[in-house]
Amino acid sequence: MSTPEFNEEHRDALQEVANVAMGEAGAKLAELLGTFVRLSVPRIEISAATQVPDILGKLLGSDNAVTAVRQSFLSRIQGEAIVLFGEAGCAELADLMGYEGAFASAQRREVLLDIANVLVGACLGGVFRQLGLELGYSAPSLLAENTLADRVIHTESLNWRRALLVEVNFRLEQGAFSSHLVILLPEHSIDRLRESLEQMMATL
Amino acid sequence: MARKMLQRALPAHWDIEVSHAANGIEALDAYRAGKAAVMFLDLTMPDMDGYQVLRTLRRESLDCFVIVVSADVQPMAQERVKQLGAIGFVRKPVTAEKIAPLLEEYGVL
Repeated sequence: MSTPEFNEEHRDALQEVANVAMGEAGAKLAELLGTFVRLSVPRIEISAATQVPDILGKLLGSDNAVTAVRQSFLSRIQGEAIVLFGEAGCAELADLMGYEGAFASAQRREVLLDIANVLVGACLGGVFRQLGLELGYSAPSLLAENTLADRVIHTESLNWRRALLVEVNFRLEQGAFSSHLVILLPEHSIDRLRESLEQMMATL
Repeated sequence: MARKMLQRALPAHWDIEVSHAANGIEALDAYRAGKAAVMFLDLTMPDMDGYQVLRTLRRESLDCFVIVVSADVQPMAQERVKQLGAIGFVRKPVTAEKIAPLLEEYGVL
């Protein structure tokens, strides 16, 4: 994927930055769940904002229901971080975390908000630290429950023209629990990200 | 960018030829073509990951030094690659200070 605004070199640098950041996030998740976590190759896409739901559907499987948590972040670069948990895997969460019996729905929400917050904090924190930028977050909030992956985001509410999407996912070796972290940037932040990546590459 | 960082971390006086691979399959092709005395191996790669490369190398009697360069900071990741025959595990970002001692320890330099 190469566009005038974001060439192959930018994509490669962002992929490496995301890889380093997700390593830290994966280790935190492994600690929380007491099991080994497999990291993915970060995916990067730039598209019209209206395409984002379809991309999410393709990445996660459009027939898979998810619970999604969102957190906005604010810096020179701003955007939305969304963590999508496969509904099937959430059933195993109580067991993974050493609780007796299944979670009540309020407790389940609380745990998912916590896990999302840890993943977003480690991953975005890692990305922005490498870019040399400070970063602030909103509190995590529930975006959707038991919803198909391609229906989680309503792009009309985003008011963006184009979007850059970074997707990383964390899988366990056993069981169905899986979580995807998606970072979405609007057009003006894509430009600023490109500038920051160029500055970083210039120091190498 | 990962390659550039690694290249910068290699000893300056090291008289070697460097080959690049975009995934595990290409890495094994280069190894089988006799191009790898030392392999710097990432774990997270498309098509064939670093663990699969290590397993295959071991099946094919592992005639090269493998140093894993990874962002995975889980202690279990380090244990696993060492069990699979890697001589070292270097956390990203890779630096000359992290690599030189490994090369010296194994007499590669």
